[in-house]
Amino acid sequence: MNRRAAAFVLGLALALVAGGALWWWLQSRAGGAGGPGGPAGADGKTSPVPFELWVPDGNGLRLERRELQVTDAPKDRLRRITEALLAPRPDGARLFPEGVAIAGVQLSGDGTAYLNLVWEGHEDPPPSGSTEEMQRIYGLVNSATTNVPEVKRVVLLWNGAQRPTFAGHLDTSRPLLPSPALRTR
Amino acid sequence: MNDRRFLGLLALLCLLLPPVFLAAQGQQAPPQPTTPLPGTARQPSVVLDGAPLPAPVTINPSGPLFGLTALVNNLGGQLADGGEESVTLTIEGKDVVIGVGSAIVTVGDGLVSLSQPPIRGEGTLLVPLDFLQKTYGDLAGYAFEWRPTLQQLAISRQAAREIPVLLDVVHLQGMTTVVLQFQEIPRYQVQRQDGLVRVQMMGDRLAPPPAPPTVTDPLVQAVMVGPEQVSIQLIPGAQASSYVLENPFRLVFDVHMPSQTPSPSTPSLRPTQRPAGINTVVIDPGHGGTETGAIGPSGVQEKELTLTIARELEASLESRLGIRVVLTRNEDANVPHDARTAIANQNQADLFISVHLNSSLGAGAHGAETYFLSADASDARAARRAEAENAGEASEGASGTSNLTSGMDQDLELILWDLAQTHHLLESQRFAAMIQGELNQTLQLRDRGVKQAPFRVLNGAAMPAVLVELGFVSNPDEEKKLQDSAYRAELIASLTRAISRYKALVEKKPDPMAIQPGQPGQQPAQPGAAQPAPGAPGVRPPGTR
Repeated sequence: MNRRAAAFVLGLALALVAGGALWWWLQSRAGGAGGPGGPAGADGKTSPVPFELWVPDGNGLRLERRELQVTDAPKDRLRRITEALLAPRPDGARLFPEGVAIAGVQLSGDGTAYLNLVWEGHEDPPPSGSTEEMQRIYGLVNSATTNVPEVKRVVLLWNGAQRPTFAGHLDTSRPLLPSPALRTR
Repeated sequence: MNDRRFLGLLALLCLLLPPVFLAAQGQQAPPQPTTPLPGTARQPSVVLDGAPLPAPVTINPSGPLFGLTALVNNLGGQLADGGEESVTLTIEGKDVVIGVGSAIVTVGDGLVSLSQPPIRGEGTLLVPLDFLQKTYGDLAGYAFEWRPTLQQLAISRQAAREIPVLLDVVHLQGMTTVVLQFQEIPRYQVQRQDGLVRVQMMGDRLAPPPAPPTVTDPLVQAVMVGPEQVSIQLIPGAQASSYVLENPFRLVFDVHMPSQTPSPSTPSLRPTQRPAGINTVVIDPGHGGTETGAIGPSGVQEKELTLTIARELEASLESRLGIRVVLTRNEDANVPHDARTAIANQNQADLFISVHLNSSLGAGAHGAETYFLSADASDARAARRAEAENAGEASEGASGTSNLTSGMDQDLELILWDLAQTHHLLESQRFAAMIQGELNQTLQLRDRGVKQAPFRVLNGAAMPAVLVELGFVSNPDEEKKLQDSAYRAELIASLTRAISRYKALVEKKPDPMAIQPGQPGQQPAQPGAAQPAPGAPGVRPPGTR
């Protein structure tokens, strides 16, 4: 084999090695993302990300780790988190009655998230005592603010409108800040 | 190409590719906590003020983790294991709730996000560096520095500050208020033992007042201010409760004799003998009309029981205390929340009590709790008022005249209305504590305590206002009890006693103006505002020293 042919083969081999290494490195970067709140790709692709949801527990709320399939868009994460909270839990318990759903999510530049809840066939939110109302409202508010760093406060809407209260207690006419004190010990 | 050379190149490729792939795979391998073996690498260590501290250290790819138990033993604090999932660490009276495996911890009422979750290992809970900085650093004044080259955590006590403290002792109608006013927020711990209350500085030193305090008080024997602590010696049998006021930072102790608490039958409480004070009470039966409130397992609706209880309380207050009582509703009707407080304000009520029954999504919830408006609600209102006022000023500035639209005027008016309760938070808290205390004592209910929440119905009340949850209708046992008139009579008696106690406290004030209801947006001479009740120190009514 002449020198030119040998150099060509060697160059090809080195290119193969470098290309393979580059391909592997890119693969590892894309697949390795997805830590708590970590990026999952900006191309709309979803990946499983662990979140900590505030779920009812006794008289308050507790943190429950849940893995959700999300993109890296804060609005998408907010929606998936809310959907997860509205879905029945393994024991069948629910944060809101069956049929309550998230109709829309908005996130403003100042960190105010807007969650629009709807309930087919019901004009008003479900009636409850104050503890139950706090569990529902702060289950949503705390979960949003804890897991989506862009969310600082939450405005809850019912059928597209803000209400003075959901069930006659908490003032929902204003943006709500998280209430970590509701965490049970 | 020569076959031998070609094969040689192929062999070279085979040799080169696997290490590259393995190296890439190695990058992706999940991080495992590692503790270097002795002799193979520098052993990670912890030093406190230069002296070795025997705490385990685990080196994790996300950063080092430190054994909490040994640190607590050396830095102070209390560790309570709440089982597999959570651990509570108490530092300087603040609870830090750690969820094992969770990167979010609760510090007091705040949430703190950590760089990595605490994990169990080496026979203890292992916590990251930022956990230590945000707990022991912020609460106890320690400085933490991780030195990677030495693989060493250096802990040092921050230089002690010398904080000037002022002392004030006021005795007013059976209660003594001791106020310690600090120029900066100190790090301290309150300890109580046999009539001695000690405020122990944690790392800070006190600059005592120029003249040693001389205390002549029926409930407080002496107050001693030293560089490291303040000691308050009570007379035998006296009790002290403490709370904090801010801007400036004040630590306040209310001292009283439990036996001096007036009972409803005390002659001085009879209407003919009492001065102006608690004359009108507005009772708000929660919910009504289409708003049922909580619904019990047997179908009992909260709105029905709250109306029944409100009527019974009305009768009790009128007959036993001679107080004028107004109900916000006397039938099953929808009454907007703002209308409820409007009724109280229009009637110049001295107290507003919203009566509710509770429900929970969790099983087994029971007991009573009393709420007053949370500060964040009032702060939010204040912010909105400022925004609206600023908007108004901006408009004025542009044209030289007020360009506030009628809608904006209305909005501002509503915001001012919303702010009404902010002037009464301290008195609301005091009143709530009295209600809760009576409920606990009489009914042996589970003490769910005095709490704060942004309750809509409390916003607009221009007087001390509370929302009392008298039990859980979602709990079958309590639902049944709440339908029993004998049980309700005990509840009513408790509430009546609490109102009687509060009434006695307020009416013994020398300044009758201090108990007139204020108007939203004004600086009212109200308990808890500028003219304080006992327990609202800093300013005292004239002629009380």
